[in-house]
Amino acid sequence: MLVAAVVWLKPAPGWSFRGAGYAQTTSGQSLAIIVNQSNPVENLSLTELRRIFLGERSHWPNGRRITLVIMPPGEPEREAILREVCRMNEKDYNNHFLHGLFTGEVFASPKTLSTPVGVRKFVFNVPGAIGYVRTADVDDSVKVLRIDGLLPGDKDYKIPMQARLAK
Amino acid sequence: MKSSIVPLTRTTVKVTGRIFKVLPMLLGVLLSTRVVRAQQAPDPADQDKQTIRMLLERVEQLEARVTQLEAARQGRPAVAPTLVTQQASTPAEPETETQAEQPSEPERMDLSKTLLRMRGFGDITLHGDNHKGDTTSFSLGQLNLFVTSDVSEKFKFLTEIVFEAGPDNAVGVDVERMLLEYSPSDYFNLAVGRYHTAIGYYNTAYHHSTWFQTTTGRPFLFDFEDKGGPLPIHNVGVSASGLIPSGRLGLHYVAEVGNGRTSRSPANEPVQNLVDENNHKAFNLAFFARPESVRGLQAGFSVYRDVLSPANLPRIGETILAAHAVFVRPKFEWLNEALVIRHAPFGLSHVFETPGFYTQLSKQFGSYRPYFRYQYMNESNREPVFPDIGLRHGPSVGLRYDASESVAVKLQYDYTLLRRQEAVNGLALQVGFTF
Repeated sequence: MLVAAVVWLKPAPGWSFRGAGYAQTTSGQSLAIIVNQSNPVENLSLTELRRIFLGERSHWPNGRRITLVIMPPGEPEREAILREVCRMNEKDYNNHFLHGLFTGEVFASPKTLSTPVGVRKFVFNVPGAIGYVRTADVDDSVKVLRIDGLLPGDKDYKIPMQARLAK
Repeated sequence: MKSSIVPLTRTTVKVTGRIFKVLPMLLGVLLSTRVVRAQQAPDPADQDKQTIRMLLERVEQLEARVTQLEAARQGRPAVAPTLVTQQASTPAEPETETQAEQPSEPERMDLSKTLLRMRGFGDITLHGDNHKGDTTSFSLGQLNLFVTSDVSEKFKFLTEIVFEAGPDNAVGVDVERMLLEYSPSDYFNLAVGRYHTAIGYYNTAYHHSTWFQTTTGRPFLFDFEDKGGPLPIHNVGVSASGLIPSGRLGLHYVAEVGNGRTSRSPANEPVQNLVDENNHKAFNLAFFARPESVRGLQAGFSVYRDVLSPANLPRIGETILAAHAVFVRPKFEWLNEALVIRHAPFGLSHVFETPGFYTQLSKQFGSYRPYFRYQYMNESNREPVFPDIGLRHGPSVGLRYDASESVAVKLQYDYTLLRRQEAVNGLALQVGFTF
């Protein structure tokens, strides 16, 4: 009976819990890591990306300071980054940054922008910026980084959205 | 030669007749179209003038914008000059940290402002023990205002301003940390001001906030100077730190030069904020590794060296050797540190050593985090500089409950053995918070 309950509760592929019921996910989509077009970096390992998103790296190889731009809590993109890249929940992520700023190990806190358009424009404006948007929100104003040599949409790309559909 | 004249048949005559009827209409339409076109399209000369006028207006707009940007960016060269050319080709709208989109005219973000951020920490404790002379009391802990500011792309300011009640119940203010940091790369960061000396792990991982700490207080070894701690917790000087290229080993270094700790008299302010009591500077060198393969693990050591000048005593060489291995993840921590403080009076062969260590273990279960700590410190009875510390050792157990993301309630029991004194049983209930 327990097994049956677990099977019943476990969402089918492509679906996830949303409120009291199910909602179809955007598991087919990926999250694109975007940087300014002037950034010479083309590829990052997932480990390097994690260090950047945890504030443990504060400079690009060309010496420019990394400015991290994130979306507010509750956004599916942010949830995907915390889950797939940072491997933390919201509380742990906030505590990590607060502690890092307190000890001085994190040089600057991330900028929070509420929309993909805002993220894209920020990245376009700030040469050292790095952010994330859904692949559908990417345009020519920003550069999409390869992660472990793969672009969003490639097989085995490691940052799937797997988030809930729009409300 | 064959004639090209086609004989008129009935059909052709009929068609031709229709054409003659339609032709005037077609001519009329064509003429009217030409007239309309002539009215719509300006004269080429007028068109050029209009274009020139528009371009001049655009140039004026751009010049005004450049002037505005230059004025705004004085003192903050955060935006690369190349952006100006990017703007000309691809306009972008401004974006603040909270707004989403604005349908305003194309404009660059204003990145010229220095951002002052403030975060507060505080705690209130009810504690009691059976130590002679102690009373059960409510205590205001340190009220800590932690302020940072992004001065520019590579400079940052950081300070901790702490309001704290002393043994006389009067509240005083201390600038516990004040640092201007210069960060040109991950491999080299320079900070000047007042900082926490990088001896071991705890002193730079936890500063003046109990909310961050699992337990109600710091280990004996890392007690603040004005609470009787044996270490030079604070220092005023220069600190360099950064990564050492070491691949997956994740090596870091810290090198510090500062005034060191006051030793002339216990009544003096322990941190030499303004004047060093001697010309010898305190040096500290620390190395630690954060291996990529074991996230959360950090292991390292440090060497601190200073010369102390206590009143009525010969100068004393102070060496502090420390080593640590900690494993810290959001839901689990295991801290282990050991150190020895060596005081070697000049001209004497005897060296006074104070060894100490602590181990601390905790695990998070939902909002609850039970913890255990055992600590030990043994100072010689004849210790020349800090004779009041003596021997202390014993366990502490406690429970931290995170009532919210910003409020933690802790209950801790301490059992402390002292040299030639009765063991102390202490109980503390603390609420720590950030705001």
